[in-house]
Amino acid sequence: MNWNRPLAAAAAIAVCVSLAVPAFAAAKPTITMSGSTSVAPLASLLAKKYLTVCGHCVNFKLLQGGSDVGISDVAAGRVTIGNASRDPKPSDPGGLVFNKIAHDAVCIVTNSSNPLPGIDEAGVQAIFGGSVRTWSSVPGSSASGTIDAFVRTPASGTQDAFQKIFLSSTKVFTGASQKASNGLVQQSVKSDPNGIGYVSLAFTGGLHTVPYKGVACTLRNAKSGQYGGQRNLYMVTRGPAQGAAKAWLKWITTSSAAAAVINTEWVSLH
Amino acid sequence: MKTRGLKLAQQRDRTDQRAELLLGALASAVLLLIAFMIVFVFAKAWPSFAHNGLAWFGPGGNVNVQLEEIFASPGDPAAYNYTLHAWPLLYATALITGCAVALATIVSMLSAMFVVEFAPAWIASVLQPVIRLLAAVPSVIYGLIGILVLVPFFGNHVISSDQKESVQFVIQLDGSSILVGILVLTVMITPIMVAITVDALRSVPRNWTEGAAALGVNRFRALRTVGLRAARPAIVAAAILATARALGEAIMLSMVAGSVAFAPNPLDGVTFFFEPAKTFASSIVDGAEGLSVEPFGQTMYAFAAVLLISSAFLSFAGWYARRAMRKYTLAPR
Repeated sequence: MNWNRPLAAAAAIAVCVSLAVPAFAAAKPTITMSGSTSVAPLASLLAKKYLTVCGHCVNFKLLQGGSDVGISDVAAGRVTIGNASRDPKPSDPGGLVFNKIAHDAVCIVTNSSNPLPGIDEAGVQAIFGGSVRTWSSVPGSSASGTIDAFVRTPASGTQDAFQKIFLSSTKVFTGASQKASNGLVQQSVKSDPNGIGYVSLAFTGGLHTVPYKGVACTLRNAKSGQYGGQRNLYMVTRGPAQGAAKAWLKWITTSSAAAAVINTEWVSLH
Repeated sequence: MKTRGLKLAQQRDRTDQRAELLLGALASAVLLLIAFMIVFVFAKAWPSFAHNGLAWFGPGGNVNVQLEEIFASPGDPAAYNYTLHAWPLLYATALITGCAVALATIVSMLSAMFVVEFAPAWIASVLQPVIRLLAAVPSVIYGLIGILVLVPFFGNHVISSDQKESVQFVIQLDGSSILVGILVLTVMITPIMVAITVDALRSVPRNWTEGAAALGVNRFRALRTVGLRAARPAIVAAAILATARALGEAIMLSMVAGSVAFAPNPLDGVTFFFEPAKTFASSIVDGAEGLSVEPFGQTMYAFAAVLLISSAFLSFAGWYARRAMRKYTLAPR
């Protein structure tokens, strides 16, 4: 999530600084991570918490670069953990273990003056694929006129997730307005009565979130697994995690402290 | 005593030499840096140009789709996808920059004439610092005002639903448009042009315009025919500076001009101005997230290379225009 990058960067720097000070304890194991920019803010928050909990028992190094970078890095052994915000693909290198750490919900949003009662997969594909361009042909819509679809730039991870979860093989309407961040999509839909877009759950303030396949996009529904529009966040290891990385992944997936960190903006698995 | 005096002189010489060496080193470091930057950008950009040839600059296909495919290239370097026909970006960059600079030139000449000749002293003394302040406002602030005020206003009140429907399957008119981009960009670059033009008009010798006035010409005409002519090299310099700023403007245009690669069609009439577009600079900003994907990053460097060439060409054109216009000024030939 781009909006969080300054925060993530600050956190990463904080992590680095907090590690540089007790650097003389050379025997400490180091966990290096690279990859998804969507996972990075979560990873750095978790790392900070983990350090205070376990008494600075490890060193962390967190890099970004995108899910694919993380996966190829970990496959080549350049990092301990590759962060990924997409599911495993058949073309991924063999021998990787995708450790699921959290869920992230992607919500379809409209202007609050147009409280669309619901939408199904075909509806999403028609609207974002560009085959339906007027609100009058969308059942349940109270808006009139053309649909203003707001999407993300192709390089965005959220765009990637949206494509896979909601659109499958349908291509995004090339005339749709491309925005560089969740926040800009939120702002655009907020100020446009004919707007529709998709954002991460944390960015739905001031907007109408459209129930997808009859399930409202809320943290609770995402947590119960009923809401279909969610993606998984992973920490990928080469083979099963070992040593310090194993303890760290175990802490993320089992401890209540980690769950509290995750549940601020994401959905924990336990 | 004598030897001591000599020593002091020698020391002074050495200090001078040291300063000379240091300053010279700094100057050459800047040159080296520029040379290194150009080489670096072009080396990075080369695969994108090499794969497309001259078609890189031509039209064909949809740039949004092409960028998406470049981004989705497979991991194998031999199978990298580079196909790009960047005409819509080139066209949008030229269109938005050209229109904004043309508008700003007219507005700035008129306001500079007002400040220099017609404004009461107290207004002029307030206007000048305000103009200089405006010239220093960061562009992202203009972008925020554009996206919070102008874009919704145009989208909801100015663009009619008939206009939206007329092009609905081609492009979406939601308010972010070349018109808003040009307007905000004009507001951004006008202050610096006014400031330069005011200084230039002030430096025109008083007796030149007085001579014109003595021939019975009114104040406006004297200023227009004598003052503005004499100030032409400065106006050109101001326009060049403004063009450079407009060319490089990324964040603001990415926010208000739609950020979707599209070549607005003049045949659409008024709707033309409501169509979105994407410039090279804003493409780089929008694509920053994908830089780690090698072919995508190289494509971004190709955009940067085009911008570098344009600005180099711009400074050359400016130098040439100023040289050609030297005959209108008091500057030594």
